[in-house]
Amino acid sequence: MSGLKPLGREKWWVLALLAPTLIGLLLGTFGSILATLGLSLYDWDLLTPPEYAGLSNYAGLPGDRMFVKSLWNTVAFAALYVPLTMVLSLTVAMALNRRVRGESLFRVLYFLPVVSSPTAVGLLWTWIYAEDHGALNELIGLFGADPVRWLGSEMVLYSVVIANVWGAIGEGMIVFLAGLQAIPKEHYEVARIDGATVWQRLRYVTLPALMPSLFFQAVLATIHAFQAFDYIYILTRTGNGNSSLPTLVFSIYRSGFRFFRMGDAAAQAVVLTLIILVFTWVYFRLQRRWGPA
Amino acid sequence: MRLRLSAVALLLSAGAALSQTEITFQLWGSPQEGEVWSGIAQAFEAGHPDISVKIELADWDSYWEKLRVQMAGGTPPDVFAMDAPLYPDWQSRGVLLNLQPYLDADPAALDGVYPITLEAYNTPEGYFGLPRDFQTIVLYYNKDMFDAAGVAYPTDAWTWDDLRATAKTLTLDKDGDGATDQWGFWAEAYDQEPFWGSVIWSHGGDIVDAAAGKTLIGSPEASAGFEFIRAMLLDDKSMPTQSQLAQYGYDGFLAGISAMGVSGHWSVPDYATQSFAWDVAPMPSGPAGRVTGVNSAGFVIARDSKNPDAAWEFVKYATGDAGQTELAKIGFAVPIRESVAKSEAYLGQAVKINHQMFIDALAYARVKPVFKGYEEWSGAVGDALSLIWSEESGVEDALAEAVANGDAALASNR
Repeated sequence: MSGLKPLGREKWWVLALLAPTLIGLLLGTFGSILATLGLSLYDWDLLTPPEYAGLSNYAGLPGDRMFVKSLWNTVAFAALYVPLTMVLSLTVAMALNRRVRGESLFRVLYFLPVVSSPTAVGLLWTWIYAEDHGALNELIGLFGADPVRWLGSEMVLYSVVIANVWGAIGEGMIVFLAGLQAIPKEHYEVARIDGATVWQRLRYVTLPALMPSLFFQAVLATIHAFQAFDYIYILTRTGNGNSSLPTLVFSIYRSGFRFFRMGDAAAQAVVLTLIILVFTWVYFRLQRRWGPA
Repeated sequence: MRLRLSAVALLLSAGAALSQTEITFQLWGSPQEGEVWSGIAQAFEAGHPDISVKIELADWDSYWEKLRVQMAGGTPPDVFAMDAPLYPDWQSRGVLLNLQPYLDADPAALDGVYPITLEAYNTPEGYFGLPRDFQTIVLYYNKDMFDAAGVAYPTDAWTWDDLRATAKTLTLDKDGDGATDQWGFWAEAYDQEPFWGSVIWSHGGDIVDAAAGKTLIGSPEASAGFEFIRAMLLDDKSMPTQSQLAQYGYDGFLAGISAMGVSGHWSVPDYATQSFAWDVAPMPSGPAGRVTGVNSAGFVIARDSKNPDAAWEFVKYATGDAGQTELAKIGFAVPIRESVAKSEAYLGQAVKINHQMFIDALAYARVKPVFKGYEEWSGAVGDALSLIWSEESGVEDALAEAVANGDAALASNR
């Protein structure tokens, strides 16, 4: 199949048919990336003409309290979210990667959060985490525990991670299921004949064969973690338009659209992109070292 | 045949519309407010057959985003609503039309307007906006809850200590499950306007001196005010916490879980939909007397409006007697014209409470601070103050942070 390449005039047809997507990609995506890069070098309040500011927007970031706070929140969130999402989606995928009764029902159930409206799901979590009469506190109350302030300052990070991980398991599960089903049954048979235990089969058969899926999912989960916004905003917004756990994307939105500081917002967006690029680069290096030859 | 006729009618009406000037009026508000404005626009169009007004309504958050994008794209609405504290942010950036030439040509235009409502819009170069209505903050109380507990209603002799003691009495666990389900008092905690501004002022403190770039809430007097609020919320627990409130919605008084609340006239239509009986009383007084806040929403015209004259006609109508009378009837706010405020249109609204109280409040009201960078400053200060309400910081530490954050926000908006 891979030998099939368009020839001669067919190339033009291919280009013509791809043109709508390509033009959209060039203008939409690359255009806005370039515009963001450019804007980050200007002071712009959206109302008066932009003024060239050199690198001053970047130089101001370490002193911007909201930005620094949201950067650390996002890093802490990612440090919990990425490993948890990976481990749990892999576990669910392995549990569902066999003939079990109602297997397709379970797959649908785990995938449902991915296709649900984040606003609706976020509101549901608000009710689960409510202090008085919230579902979670009622539940632990049955065992005699005192109510917990799930969205209070001590617990809010963990509560938000749980809601987000719950929403992301389905997506990881699909990726891992595809990877698992591509592993030839013979490999397991050979391992079993050689007397490999369950753990050895996981360590020497499943995980190595799953490396490409693992790396792919790690990159995706990291991107999602750094761009996390909707559940977090719904769960943590406060009366004055702020959030008790502001994230990078929230800080970008607030600087640009609320505080008349579009240049700062663009600089923050560039920093966010750089962070994601660095992680992606590291993952690719690791994959080259540990992945299949 | 009928189809062809209606097509002709359509063409004719399109032709008529073409000869007209269409202006857009964009505002934030609820659908009910939008309906009222459609009515005012129709009344205006009846007197100005050559102008038609298109009303664009948005909720508070999307309103300001939409406006920025429209401005950046060069397609601003002709007339749009403005919140007085945010006015300098827009005025200083040169996107608003100077209304002074129109006012100079019509010197009587502002006669009979409460002067305190004009203060926010006056600049050295003249008015770039005019107030549409004003809001003073008063004390709301749930008569049913007072009656049930046999407690006397708030009076104009009340001090903050009276309010605190009564709030304690009225904080109850009615169903006996060990959790409070009625609180004595509720207030919006982040913004200064409904509550903490008045408390600070009446304790002898001040809020901000924007011209000097100084946030003033760190003074001993202001601290005493914040300590008073902290004690009600955290010691007496006579106010719901943020997370307790979240289960009942945004407004504790509206939800029927608090016996008292503080708010402006904007709450009247909402509260009137509730089944409990309620009325209003003046803000209680503090060690430095009785102080409330006054704020106004206003009209501005975009500098790049293609029809500034038609836009001015609309603003003039809406701030004039006829427009203000219509506006008064819906009861979202108090009219800026004394003649209308003292007329039956305002005082005799369908909701029977003491509407005069909101006008009397002007006698002891101070203008909500108005300066460039207000929203950023307000966010920075509100975030730090929220550390008190969430018990993460004591009053002194939180105020030190609020002053540092607030001053940084003022500095970046010089």
